[in-house]
Amino acid sequence: MAPKSALGLKGISKTFGDVIAVKDFSLDIEDGEFISLLGPSGCGKTTLLRIVAGFEVPDSGEVLINGTNILDMPPNKRPMNMVFQRYALFPHMTVYENIAFSQFLKKRPREEIEVKVNKMLELVQLEGFESRKPEQLSGGQCQRIALVRALINEPKVLLLDEPLGALDLKIRKQMQIELKNIQEKLGITFIYVTHDQEEALVMSDRIVLMRSGKIIQADTPKRIYSHPNSKFSASFIGESNIYEGVVDGVEKDHLSIDVEGMQFKVNRTVDVKKGDRVFLAIRLEKVKRIREEEGRAYDNMVEGKCEDIVFFGSLVKYYVKISEKIEMLVEENVKEEDEAPETGQNNIGDTITLGFKRTDVNVFLE
Amino acid sequence: MQKSKRHIYLLSPLFTYFTIFFFAPLFILFIYSFWRTTSTGLVPTFTLFNYLYIFSRPLYPTIILKSIRIGFITSILCVGLSYPMAYSLTFKYKKLQDFVLYLILISLFSSYLVRVYAWKTILGYNGLINQILKYLGLIEEPLTFLLYSPTAVIITLVFIFIPFTILPIYSSLQNVDVDCIEAARDLGAGMRKAFYKVTLPLSMPGVITGFIFSFVLAAGDYVTPQMVGGTRGLMIGRIVQDQFGLTYNWPFGSALAYFTIFLLIFLINCVIWLTRLLKLRR
Repeated sequence: MAPKSALGLKGISKTFGDVIAVKDFSLDIEDGEFISLLGPSGCGKTTLLRIVAGFEVPDSGEVLINGTNILDMPPNKRPMNMVFQRYALFPHMTVYENIAFSQFLKKRPREEIEVKVNKMLELVQLEGFESRKPEQLSGGQCQRIALVRALINEPKVLLLDEPLGALDLKIRKQMQIELKNIQEKLGITFIYVTHDQEEALVMSDRIVLMRSGKIIQADTPKRIYSHPNSKFSASFIGESNIYEGVVDGVEKDHLSIDVEGMQFKVNRTVDVKKGDRVFLAIRLEKVKRIREEEGRAYDNMVEGKCEDIVFFGSLVKYYVKISEKIEMLVEENVKEEDEAPETGQNNIGDTITLGFKRTDVNVFLE
Repeated sequence: MQKSKRHIYLLSPLFTYFTIFFFAPLFILFIYSFWRTTSTGLVPTFTLFNYLYIFSRPLYPTIILKSIRIGFITSILCVGLSYPMAYSLTFKYKKLQDFVLYLILISLFSSYLVRVYAWKTILGYNGLINQILKYLGLIEEPLTFLLYSPTAVIITLVFIFIPFTILPIYSSLQNVDVDCIEAARDLGAGMRKAFYKVTLPLSMPGVITGFIFSFVLAAGDYVTPQMVGGTRGLMIGRIVQDQFGLTYNWPFGSALAYFTIFLLIFLINCVIWLTRLLKLRR
């Protein structure tokens, strides 16, 4: 008998007037899992989070906790708590009163509340901040207070609505690690809404990629990255070279795809016949600059003119024009100066040969 | 250097106007309250005679207290009626916001006197209310307490000053972060608790502003009592006005006015202190 998931979402749909926000959304979430709802603005991820929290009522579907539908429960009775995007700290209360709010409502004894609040402040390294008011705190501090204000309630599920969106890059990256550590330490199920794919990759056990209210792909970060199931997945998460082509030939172990007159060899991962339209996606770091002699080691080899070289710190990108309509981007680590790269230095204007393996090409129908 | 000098130049016309036509007269009147008046004119001196004279006859303290009572009841009614209206506009009937605001502004633009006259006709012996009640068969004889009474003054003042309370309350409610209300609910508060612990404290500044406006304006009003108050609706504003007219006792008029002002300030501070005790903490 399969173990009951901590949180089950079944067939949830929600429309606002003419706009379909969420369409038939179903997902099972395990206890202690860190799930990210990832997608562009308007994909329905925040609406879904608010439905789970109880601030929106879905048109259809169920939200199950250990098998019980909690949809008729108002938000204050549900076993989950939310961390809001703009923190929503109570401006007229001190940090202590903010964090202790839920416990005051539960009429817990004062000594117990004091112990709990101190533990929470310790968790986010903000001891001593009890009597401060929210207006005296920085963004990162507000963020952490908002977090522990929700955690003190020991919810089964914590809902986070793009909590790091308003923070500087450096603080955001620091908080990502902190949040992940806290989640692992406390073992609470996290549902994390974000539009930042890098953030999702760093923190999640599983990423649920959404678009227009539907789930496009739900998988571990590694699998979504290396095996995107669609053009959308391939371009939203990480960066890919994406090309449209026509199936030219179906062989025993590979497909021949015609892309603007060029022939590419890819694995047979989809069921197609000659003449079908397909999309190819190749991760930038899977395209290598090679010498012509090495061509046989790579299933695919193309030649083009280097249009631009852009330096990103530890990475460098080459913009190579293969033909009038096709450009290919290559990403590689910046090697030590005395460690000569395999092909040597390239300059803008050079003719470069590129190679990539057929296993590194993702093929989809849409 | 240039920038701050420019600010001073920009502020000075308004500041000069207010100093000449507002602060200076107020200050002169305050000085007068310590002078005496004789058959030949004003005598500059320093005496507390006028302030003490307020208590010489029961009439003056009674009227002052009555005016404050009428002002207080008016402001409580104004706030009590405005808050639910402003609340529904902000959180429920958002589409009506602009429309209702226009209505309120239009009523503010219309003449004060016209509005008082309108109420005179509505509350009168043969006025609208009595006609409706008679038509419905609820009364035989028209109600007489509706006009030329403290009740008439209160009713009229409430409707005249409601715009002064609705606007600040509405404004402060608009500034309440809806996320905070949702956060309170998420953390375990029911609708009522969320209101008392979040919405009400955060909108309190608007409530206090509205209260002060309507309280002070109502307590000191002297046109409305004159027109709809009759003899029973006499208020301190009229008495003060008389001192500067018929009676020609400017020092006493000033003393009455300033005494009332100090009393009002004291009471307002009491109310603010009370709200802090009840609402703003936890």
